[in-house]
Amino acid sequence: MPEPKKIIIDTDPGIDDAMAIFLALRSPEITVVGLTTIYGNVYTTLATRNALHLLEVAGRTDIPVAEGSHVSYMKATKLRVADFVHGVDGLGNQNFPQPKSKPIEKSAAEYLVEQANLYPGEITVVALGPLTNIALAIQLDPTFTKKIGQIVLLGGAFAVNGNVNPASEANIFGDPEAADIVFTSGADVVAVGINVTHQVIMKDSELDNMAESEGKFAKYLSKILDYYFSYHRDAYSMKGVYLHDPTALLAAVNPSLMTYTEGVVRVQTTGITRGLTLFFNKQKRFNEATEWNNKPTVKVAVTVDAPAVVKLVMDRLMNS
Amino acid sequence: MDSPPLVSYCNGGLSQKIIIDTDPGIDDSMAIMMAFQTPNLDILGLTTTFGNVSTKDATRNALLLCEIAGRLDVPVAEGSFEPLKGGEPEIQDFIHGSDGLGNLHLPPPKLKKVEKSASEFLVDKVSEYPGEVSILALGPLTNLALAIKRDSSFVNKVKRVVILGGAFFALGNINPAAEANIYGDPEAADIVFTSGANIDVIGINITTQVKMSDDDLDELRKSKGKHAQFLCNSSKFYRDWHVKIRWCLWSFPS
Repeated sequence: MPEPKKIIIDTDPGIDDAMAIFLALRSPEITVVGLTTIYGNVYTTLATRNALHLLEVAGRTDIPVAEGSHVSYMKATKLRVADFVHGVDGLGNQNFPQPKSKPIEKSAAEYLVEQANLYPGEITVVALGPLTNIALAIQLDPTFTKKIGQIVLLGGAFAVNGNVNPASEANIFGDPEAADIVFTSGADVVAVGINVTHQVIMKDSELDNMAESEGKFAKYLSKILDYYFSYHRDAYSMKGVYLHDPTALLAAVNPSLMTYTEGVVRVQTTGITRGLTLFFNKQKRFNEATEWNNKPTVKVAVTVDAPAVVKLVMDRLMNS
Repeated sequence: MDSPPLVSYCNGGLSQKIIIDTDPGIDDSMAIMMAFQTPNLDILGLTTTFGNVSTKDATRNALLLCEIAGRLDVPVAEGSFEPLKGGEPEIQDFIHGSDGLGNLHLPPPKLKKVEKSASEFLVDKVSEYPGEVSILALGPLTNLALAIKRDSSFVNKVKRVVILGGAFFALGNINPAAEANIYGDPEAADIVFTSGANIDVIGINITTQVKMSDDDLDELRKSKGKHAQFLCNSSKFYRDWHVKIRWCLWSFPS
């Protein structure tokens, strides 16, 4: 077996983030080097607290947590958080105790740059929230894009409606300027958008199985998942939940679970379509130069083996 | 089963009043000639806009098309010379030739445009026949937006607006984001789309599926169709451009 892939998870826990983090810890193909935190599902302070808490639950306080930006790339302080999806505590309103552990001194961007320099070409960043920290890492060290192995990001709505509004997916909407920097940075980027993650659904019956399981992670998750399920019932009239973050994590663990296309992605930063991700497949030669010209390409997930993803998530979390 | 009729009758054979807002344009010419050949279409007039050509050239070409088709009874009302926000419109002459009709450089028409502007003409006709007039919009939507601004009851009086425009969950053709007609006047397009009128939109996600091949063009040339020779001559430039960009398709207003 090849050496496990080194992964840093940039995360805003978040119920499905908790699933992804536990899934990562249960995946022998990867080693979780560290967690970096960001606003999104909750504010950054709470994301850090939840990241530390989740590692305590997992008994993995050896994994460092670096706190990320509290503001957007453009220094905006009025941030949108999705506490109506994840509960005010981000973990289904369970009133978990304060973690005892502390984040490291370095900021998320500093930590990302440090690790990329320490293991050039070896680190995969799995970015599960707005892309502020990644953009700041690129700003801090322009060679970051060359030294980072790969950036697998959960974000965008490619040729489908968004989930914040018809134009925009939540993670990209959270920091469109940062997203545009990351997409056009030249790094090896794989984007998993809601066009893919909306195909990966955990059903009510699977939640029941989880609740009945003896698995440590499954037991924990089945409690916090109730809130997430009830949000999906109200917002989408569905008996199940989208497995956004676990799907993106598995794209890093086993890329062959998905198929990809390659092209240039730009992010709209103004107007009613702020946060729109627009993929160009390079199949037409335009008469005039466009904002997509001469930009590096990224890979965008197109199809997913959804049953295989759900099975992998369930198997690994139940046998924990 | 009976063989299908040679000409397609719209609206169950009942006469249908229509105004075509157009920037001819080679594929506009095809659409207009098709409309003239459709027996139960009552073409109340053509209104012109910029896009494939300048509005001035669009008016000239619309008049020429009426003359070629022998439809001297069809009024042509000239539309806005610029988009709502002002400024020189971008012209797609590299697709349609500098004259908009594949560089045939026909002599100027004898027919004259009517006095009314396009938006006045649209408002007047729709008010004259409330609930009866459909509008086929083949260019940027400036004239329609101006008609809506001119008379707020326009949106309720117009029967149906069929728009060629937009790229729905597909790439644009001006750039990856935008389709040419919408790009020509985005402010006008947003006014029209959100106006509440009965609107059907046909975007390039649909029209790029509808292609005319070289074989089809040959068949048209060999045919005895009334306007076949003119359209084939005019289409040569359009065809060559599609080949040049290797994006070998012909988009029609379906």
